Amino acid sequence: MDLSQYKKAWENQPDEKNKISALDIYKMTQAKSTSIVKWILIIGLLEFAFWIIINHFTSGIEYNKVYEELNLTYFFKYSYYLSYIIVVIFLFLFYKNYTSISTTDSTKTLMRKIIKVRRTVKFYVYFNISISIAAIILLNILIVNTPNGIETLLGIDQSNTDSSNMITIYVASQIIGAIMMILILLLFYYLLYGLLLKKLNKNYKELTKLEELN
Amino acid sequence: MQTELEKNFLLDFEANQNIAHKVCRIYTTNQDAHNDLFQEIAIQLWKNYSKFRGDAKFSTWMYRVALNTAISLYRKSTRTVKTQDISDVTFKIQSSEYDNTEELQLAALYNAIRSMNDIDKALIFLYLEDKPYKEIAETLGITEVNARVKMNRAKDKLKKILKP
Repeated sequence: MDLSQYKKAWENQPDEKNKISALDIYKMTQAKSTSIVKWILIIGLLEFAFWIIINHFTSGIEYNKVYEELNLTYFFKYSYYLSYIIVVIFLFLFYKNYTSISTTDSTKTLMRKIIKVRRTVKFYVYFNISISIAAIILLNILIVNTPNGIETLLGIDQSNTDSSNMITIYVASQIIGAIMMILILLLFYYLLYGLLLKKLNKNYKELTKLEELN
Repeated sequence: MQTELEKNFLLDFEANQNIAHKVCRIYTTNQDAHNDLFQEIAIQLWKNYSKFRGDAKFSTWMYRVALNTAISLYRKSTRTVKTQDISDVTFKIQSSEYDNTEELQLAALYNAIRSMNDIDKALIFLYLEDKPYKEIAETLGITEVNARVKMNRAKDKLKKILKP
Protein backbone atom coordinates (compact mmCIF):
# COMPACT_ATOMS: atom_id res chain seq x y z
CA MET A 1 0.00 0.00 0.00
CA ASP A 2 1.19 3.49 -0.86
CA LEU A 3 0.75 6.51 1.37
CA SER A 4 1.31 8.98 -1.46
CA GLN A 5 -2.38 9.17 -2.39
CA TYR A 6 -3.15 10.08 1.23
CA LYS A 7 -0.35 12.59 1.20
CA LYS A 8 -1.87 14.18 -1.87
CA ALA A 9 -5.23 14.36 -0.11
CA TRP A 10 -3.47 16.00 2.84
CA GLU A 11 -1.78 18.57 0.62
CA ASN A 12 -5.05 19.40 -1.10
CA GLN A 13 -7.01 19.89 2.09
CA PRO A 14 -8.65 23.29 2.28
CA ASP A 15 -7.52 25.89 4.80
CA GLU A 16 -9.25 26.13 8.15
CA LYS A 17 -12.72 27.62 7.76
CA ASN A 18 -12.65 29.47 11.05
CA LYS A 19 -9.70 31.75 10.43
CA ILE A 20 -8.63 33.50 13.59
CA SER A 21 -8.21 37.23 13.11
CA ALA A 22 -5.10 39.09 14.20
CA LEU A 23 -7.16 40.77 16.89
CA ASP A 24 -8.33 37.43 18.28
CA ILE A 25 -4.79 36.07 18.17
CA TYR A 26 -3.70 39.14 20.10
CA LYS A 27 -6.41 38.53 22.70
CA MET A 28 -5.32 34.91 22.99
CA THR A 29 -1.72 35.81 23.67
CA GLN A 30 -2.85 37.98 26.56
CA ALA A 31 -4.42 34.98 28.27
CA LYS A 32 -2.61 32.87 30.83
CA SER A 33 -0.90 29.66 29.91
CA THR A 34 -2.41 26.47 31.30
CA SER A 35 0.66 24.27 30.97
CA ILE A 36 1.16 21.36 33.35
CA VAL A 37 4.39 22.65 34.83
CA LYS A 38 2.76 25.93 35.70
CA TRP A 39 0.00 24.09 37.52
CA ILE A 40 2.49 22.08 39.52
CA LEU A 41 4.05 25.34 40.67
CA ILE A 42 0.68 26.89 41.55
CA ILE A 43 -0.50 23.84 43.45
CA GLY A 44 2.81 23.67 45.31
CA LEU A 45 2.38 27.28 46.41
CA LEU A 46 -1.24 26.74 47.45
CA GLU A 47 -0.28 23.67 49.42
CA PHE A 48 2.44 25.58 51.22
CA ALA A 49 -0.04 28.32 52.12
CA PHE A 50 -2.52 25.68 53.28
CA TRP A 51 -0.05 24.15 55.76
CA ILE A 52 1.00 27.54 57.09
CA ILE A 53 -2.64 28.44 57.76
CA ILE A 54 -3.31 25.07 59.41
CA ASN A 55 -0.27 25.47 61.65
CA HIS A 56 -1.17 29.04 62.46
CA PHE A 57 -4.66 28.15 63.62
CA THR A 58 -3.75 25.00 65.50
CA SER A 59 -0.87 26.55 67.41
CA GLY A 60 -3.20 28.42 69.77
CA ILE A 61 -5.31 25.41 70.63
CA GLU A 62 -5.67 24.24 74.23
CA TYR A 63 -4.25 20.84 73.44
CA ASN A 64 -0.81 22.32 72.89
CA LYS A 65 -0.61 22.96 76.63
CA VAL A 66 -0.16 19.24 77.07
CA TYR A 67 2.85 19.44 74.82
CA GLU A 68 4.13 22.28 76.94
CA GLU A 69 3.89 20.10 80.02
CA LEU A 70 5.82 17.44 78.17
CA ASN A 71 8.46 19.97 77.11
CA LEU A 72 7.71 19.26 73.46
CA THR A 73 6.98 22.82 72.39
CA TYR A 74 10.48 23.25 71.00
CA PHE A 75 10.29 19.96 69.20
CA PHE A 76 7.21 21.17 67.31
CA LYS A 77 8.55 24.64 66.75
CA TYR A 78 11.82 23.49 65.24
CA SER A 79 10.30 20.73 63.19
CA TYR A 80 7.93 23.30 61.67
CA TYR A 81 10.81 25.61 60.86
CA LEU A 82 12.80 22.79 59.35
CA SER A 83 9.93 21.63 57.17
CA TYR A 84 9.26 25.21 56.04
CA ILE A 85 12.84 25.60 54.93
CA ILE A 86 12.73 22.37 53.01
CA VAL A 87 9.38 23.21 51.39
CA VAL A 88 10.78 26.58 50.30
CA ILE A 89 13.70 24.75 48.70
CA PHE A 90 11.27 22.52 46.82
CA LEU A 91 9.18 25.49 45.71
CA PHE A 92 12.35 27.07 44.39
CA LEU A 93 13.09 23.88 42.44
CA PHE A 94 9.52 23.85 41.07
CA TYR A 95 9.98 27.43 39.99
CA LYS A 96 13.33 26.71 38.36
CA ASN A 97 11.80 23.79 36.49
CA TYR A 98 8.99 26.03 35.38
CA THR A 99 11.28 28.70 33.98
CA SER A 100 13.73 26.30 32.33
CA ILE A 101 11.04 24.59 30.28
CA SER A 102 10.67 26.13 26.86
CA THR A 103 8.70 25.01 23.85
CA THR A 104 11.53 26.20 21.62
CA ASP A 105 13.71 23.29 22.78
CA SER A 106 13.69 20.15 20.71
CA THR A 107 10.95 17.73 21.74
CA LYS A 108 13.45 15.40 23.36
CA THR A 109 15.11 18.14 25.44
CA LEU A 110 11.72 19.44 26.45
CA MET A 111 10.61 16.01 27.58
CA ARG A 112 13.82 15.48 29.51
CA LYS A 113 13.10 18.64 31.44
CA ILE A 114 9.54 17.57 32.06
CA ILE A 115 10.77 14.27 33.43
CA LYS A 116 12.89 16.31 35.81
CA VAL A 117 9.74 18.08 36.95
CA ARG A 118 8.12 14.71 37.52
CA ARG A 119 11.11 13.55 39.56
CA THR A 120 11.08 16.70 41.69
CA VAL A 121 7.40 16.24 42.49
CA LYS A 122 7.95 12.60 43.32
CA PHE A 123 10.82 13.48 45.67
CA TYR A 124 8.67 16.16 47.25
CA VAL A 125 5.84 13.71 47.95
CA TYR A 126 8.19 11.02 49.29
CA PHE A 127 9.92 13.61 51.43
CA ASN A 128 6.67 14.86 52.95
CA ILE A 129 5.49 11.36 53.71
CA SER A 130 8.76 10.20 55.23
CA ILE A 131 9.08 13.33 57.34
CA SER A 132 5.58 12.67 58.70
CA ILE A 133 6.52 9.11 59.61
CA ALA A 134 9.78 10.29 61.22
CA ALA A 135 7.92 12.95 63.21
CA ILE A 136 5.41 10.43 64.53
CA ILE A 137 8.13 8.02 65.58
CA LEU A 138 10.27 10.72 67.18
CA LEU A 139 7.31 12.22 68.99
CA ASN A 140 6.37 8.86 70.45
CA ILE A 141 9.90 8.13 71.56
CA LEU A 142 9.93 11.47 73.37
CA ILE A 143 6.55 10.86 75.00
CA VAL A 144 7.37 7.33 76.11
CA ASN A 145 10.69 8.49 77.55
CA THR A 146 9.07 11.26 79.56
CA PRO A 147 8.03 10.08 83.06
CA ASN A 148 4.24 9.66 83.04
CA GLY A 149 4.29 11.02 79.50
CA ILE A 150 1.47 8.92 78.17
CA GLU A 151 -0.71 9.60 81.20
CA THR A 152 -0.18 13.32 80.84
CA LEU A 153 -0.92 13.21 77.15
CA LEU A 154 -4.14 11.31 77.63
CA GLY A 155 -5.10 13.43 80.62
CA ILE A 156 -5.54 10.45 82.87
CA ASP A 157 -5.18 10.50 86.63
CA GLN A 158 -1.75 9.06 87.35
CA SER A 159 -2.84 7.30 90.52
CA ASN A 160 -5.09 5.18 88.41
CA THR A 161 -3.19 1.97 87.81
CA ASP A 162 -3.50 -0.65 85.07
CA SER A 163 -1.10 1.43 83.04
CA SER A 164 0.30 -1.48 81.00
CA ASN A 165 -3.10 -2.05 79.43
CA MET A 166 -3.34 1.63 78.70
CA ILE A 167 0.06 1.72 77.07
CA THR A 168 -0.99 -1.12 74.76
CA ILE A 169 -4.09 0.79 73.75
CA TYR A 170 -2.02 3.93 73.29
CA VAL A 171 0.56 2.24 71.07
CA ALA A 172 -2.12 0.53 68.98
CA SER A 173 -4.05 3.75 68.49
CA GLN A 174 -0.84 5.59 67.55
CA ILE A 175 -0.03 3.00 64.90
CA ILE A 176 -3.55 3.04 63.46
CA GLY A 177 -3.57 6.82 63.55
CA ALA A 178 -0.22 6.99 61.78
CA ILE A 179 -1.30 4.58 59.03
CA MET A 180 -4.51 6.51 58.48
CA MET A 181 -2.68 9.79 58.33
CA ILE A 182 -0.24 8.46 55.75
CA LEU A 183 -3.08 7.04 53.65
CA ILE A 184 -4.82 10.40 53.72
CA LEU A 185 -1.58 12.12 52.71
CA LEU A 186 -1.09 9.67 49.84
CA LEU A 187 -4.64 10.26 48.62
CA PHE A 188 -4.14 13.99 48.96
CA TYR A 189 -1.00 13.89 46.82
CA TYR A 190 -2.49 11.52 44.30
CA LEU A 191 -5.40 13.90 43.77
CA LEU A 192 -3.14 16.94 43.65
CA TYR A 193 -0.22 15.77 41.56
CA GLY A 194 -0.95 12.24 40.39
CA LEU A 195 -3.68 13.30 38.04
CA LEU A 196 -1.58 16.13 36.64
CA LEU A 197 1.38 13.86 36.14
CA LYS A 198 -0.49 11.07 34.39
CA LYS A 199 0.05 12.63 31.00
CA LEU A 200 3.72 13.35 31.71
CA ASN A 201 4.12 9.73 32.63
CA LYS A 202 2.66 8.63 29.31
CA ASN A 203 4.97 10.94 27.39
CA TYR A 204 7.90 9.67 29.39
CA LYS A 205 7.24 6.18 28.09
CA GLU A 206 7.08 7.53 24.58
CA LEU A 207 10.37 9.31 25.09
CA THR A 208 12.11 6.11 26.09
CA LYS A 209 10.78 4.57 22.89
CA LEU A 210 12.22 7.51 20.98
CA GLU A 211 15.61 6.95 22.57
CA GLU A 212 15.77 3.22 21.91
CA LEU A 213 17.85 3.69 18.80
CA ASN A 214 20.09 6.52 19.87
CA MET B 1 -1.41 50.06 21.59
CA GLN B 2 0.70 47.35 20.03
CA THR B 3 4.44 47.35 19.85
CA GLU B 4 6.42 46.66 16.68
CA LEU B 5 7.23 43.20 18.01
CA GLU B 6 3.56 42.44 18.58
CA LYS B 7 2.64 43.65 15.11
CA ASN B 8 5.27 41.46 13.47
CA PHE B 9 4.21 38.51 15.54
CA LEU B 10 0.55 38.89 14.63
CA LEU B 11 1.39 39.18 10.93
CA ASP B 12 3.60 36.09 11.06
CA PHE B 13 1.12 34.06 13.05
CA GLU B 14 -1.93 35.06 11.08
CA ALA B 15 -0.25 34.07 7.82
CA ASN B 16 0.85 30.71 9.21
CA GLN B 17 -2.10 29.85 11.42
CA ASN B 18 -2.99 26.86 9.29
CA ILE B 19 -0.02 25.00 10.77
CA ALA B 20 -1.47 25.43 14.26
CA HIS B 21 -4.93 24.39 13.10
CA LYS B 22 -3.59 21.20 11.56
CA VAL B 23 -1.70 20.36 14.75
CA CYS B 24 -4.87 20.98 16.76
CA ARG B 25 -6.85 18.76 14.42
CA ILE B 26 -4.55 15.79 14.86
CA TYR B 27 -4.06 16.21 18.61
CA THR B 28 -7.63 16.94 19.64
CA THR B 29 -11.00 15.47 18.76
CA ASN B 30 -13.51 18.21 19.45
CA GLN B 31 -13.84 21.91 18.77
CA ASP B 32 -13.44 23.02 22.40
CA ALA B 33 -10.18 21.15 22.81
CA HIS B 34 -9.07 22.42 19.41
CA ASN B 35 -9.62 26.02 20.49
CA ASP B 36 -7.90 25.45 23.84
CA LEU B 37 -4.82 23.96 22.24
CA PHE B 38 -4.79 26.66 19.58
CA GLN B 39 -4.77 29.29 22.30
CA GLU B 40 -2.00 27.56 24.22
CA ILE B 41 0.08 27.41 21.03
CA ALA B 42 -0.52 31.15 20.50
CA ILE B 43 0.60 31.85 24.07
CA GLN B 44 3.73 29.72 23.72
CA LEU B 45 4.65 31.32 20.39
CA TRP B 46 4.21 34.82 21.73
CA LYS B 47 6.05 34.05 24.96
CA ASN B 48 9.10 32.96 22.97
CA TYR B 49 8.80 35.31 20.01
CA SER B 50 11.31 37.81 21.35
CA LYS B 51 13.89 34.99 21.37
CA PHE B 52 13.04 34.05 17.80
CA ARG B 53 15.90 35.49 15.81
CA GLY B 54 14.58 35.04 12.34
CA ASP B 55 17.58 32.96 11.28
CA ALA B 56 15.08 30.20 10.66
CA LYS B 57 11.80 30.62 8.86
CA PHE B 58 8.90 31.54 11.15
CA SER B 59 6.93 28.55 9.89
CA THR B 60 9.79 26.14 10.75
CA TRP B 61 9.93 27.55 14.25
CA MET B 62 6.16 27.37 14.52
CA TYR B 63 6.10 23.65 13.69
CA ARG B 64 8.40 22.99 16.61
CA VAL B 65 6.58 25.14 19.18
CA ALA B 66 3.13 23.92 18.09
CA LEU B 67 4.13 20.24 18.25
CA ASN B 68 5.92 20.64 21.58
CA THR B 69 2.90 22.35 23.07
CA ALA B 70 0.61 19.58 21.86
CA ILE B 71 2.94 16.82 23.05
CA SER B 72 4.15 18.09 26.38
CA LEU B 73 2.49 21.12 27.81
CA TYR B 74 -1.11 20.83 26.91
CA ARG B 75 -3.04 20.15 30.10
CA LYS B 76 -6.49 18.98 29.17
CA SER B 77 -6.57 15.33 28.30
CA THR B 78 -9.63 15.14 26.11
CA ARG B 79 -7.67 13.20 23.60
CA THR B 80 -9.26 9.81 23.57
CA VAL B 81 -9.75 8.56 20.07
CA LYS B 82 -13.28 9.00 18.87
CA THR B 83 -14.72 8.88 15.41
CA GLN B 84 -17.68 11.10 16.17
CA ASP B 85 -16.05 14.37 15.19
CA ILE B 86 -14.73 13.10 11.94
CA SER B 87 -17.30 15.14 10.05
CA ASP B 88 -15.28 18.28 10.74
CA VAL B 89 -12.68 17.16 8.25
CA THR B 90 -15.27 16.40 5.61
CA PHE B 91 -15.29 19.71 3.92
CA LYS B 92 -17.31 19.37 0.79
CA ILE B 93 -20.85 18.28 0.30
CA GLN B 94 -21.17 14.91 -1.28
CA SER B 95 -22.76 14.89 -4.71
CA SER B 96 -23.13 12.31 -7.43
CA GLU B 97 -20.97 14.15 -9.93
CA TYR B 98 -18.31 15.16 -7.47
CA ASP B 99 -15.47 12.72 -6.91
CA ASN B 100 -15.11 12.54 -3.16
CA THR B 101 -12.33 9.95 -3.00
CA GLU B 102 -9.79 12.48 -1.80
CA GLU B 103 -12.15 13.86 0.79
CA LEU B 104 -12.81 10.39 2.19
CA GLN B 105 -9.10 9.65 2.18
CA LEU B 106 -8.45 12.81 4.15
CA ALA B 107 -11.11 11.90 6.71
CA ALA B 108 -9.69 8.39 7.04
CA LEU B 109 -6.18 9.81 7.35
CA TYR B 110 -7.13 12.17 10.18
CA ASN B 111 -8.92 9.40 11.96
CA ALA B 112 -5.92 7.09 11.64
CA ILE B 113 -3.44 9.72 12.85
CA ARG B 114 -5.60 10.53 15.84
CA SER B 115 -5.36 6.93 16.99
CA MET B 116 -1.55 7.03 17.08
CA ASN B 117 0.65 8.05 20.01
CA ASP B 118 1.90 11.63 20.42
CA ILE B 119 5.34 11.03 18.92
CA ASP B 120 4.10 9.06 15.92
CA LYS B 121 1.55 11.79 15.31
CA ALA B 122 4.36 14.33 15.14
CA LEU B 123 6.43 12.18 12.78
CA ILE B 124 3.55 11.53 10.39
CA PHE B 125 2.50 15.17 10.50
CA LEU B 126 5.99 16.33 9.53
CA TYR B 127 6.09 13.73 6.74
CA LEU B 128 2.76 14.89 5.36
CA GLU B 129 3.96 18.49 5.54
CA ASP B 130 6.92 17.46 3.39
CA LYS B 131 9.58 18.40 5.91
CA PRO B 132 13.14 17.23 5.18
CA TYR B 133 14.62 14.65 7.55
CA LYS B 134 17.18 17.16 8.77
CA GLU B 135 14.40 19.42 10.01
CA ILE B 136 12.39 16.55 11.48
CA ALA B 137 15.47 15.38 13.37
CA GLU B 138 16.12 18.88 14.72
CA THR B 139 12.52 19.41 15.74
CA LEU B 140 12.33 16.18 17.68
CA GLY B 141 15.91 16.27 18.98
CA ILE B 142 16.97 12.93 17.52
CA THR B 143 19.58 12.01 14.91
CA GLU B 144 18.69 12.00 11.25
CA VAL B 145 19.32 8.27 11.00
CA ASN B 146 17.08 7.68 13.98
CA ALA B 147 14.42 9.93 12.47
CA ARG B 148 14.41 7.85 9.28
CA VAL B 149 14.03 4.60 11.19
CA LYS B 150 11.30 6.00 13.41
CA MET B 151 9.54 7.47 10.40
CA ASN B 152 9.47 4.16 8.58
CA ARG B 153 7.98 2.49 11.63
CA ALA B 154 5.39 5.20 12.05
CA LYS B 155 4.46 4.95 8.36
CA ASP B 156 4.08 1.18 8.68
CA LYS B 157 1.79 1.68 11.66
CA LEU B 158 -0.24 4.22 9.73
CA LYS B 159 -0.58 1.90 6.73
CA LYS B 160 -1.81 -0.86 9.00
CA ILE B 161 -4.45 1.39 10.53
CA LEU B 162 -5.58 2.63 7.12
CA LYS B 163 -5.71 -0.84 5.54
CA PRO B 164 -5.89 -3.48 8.23
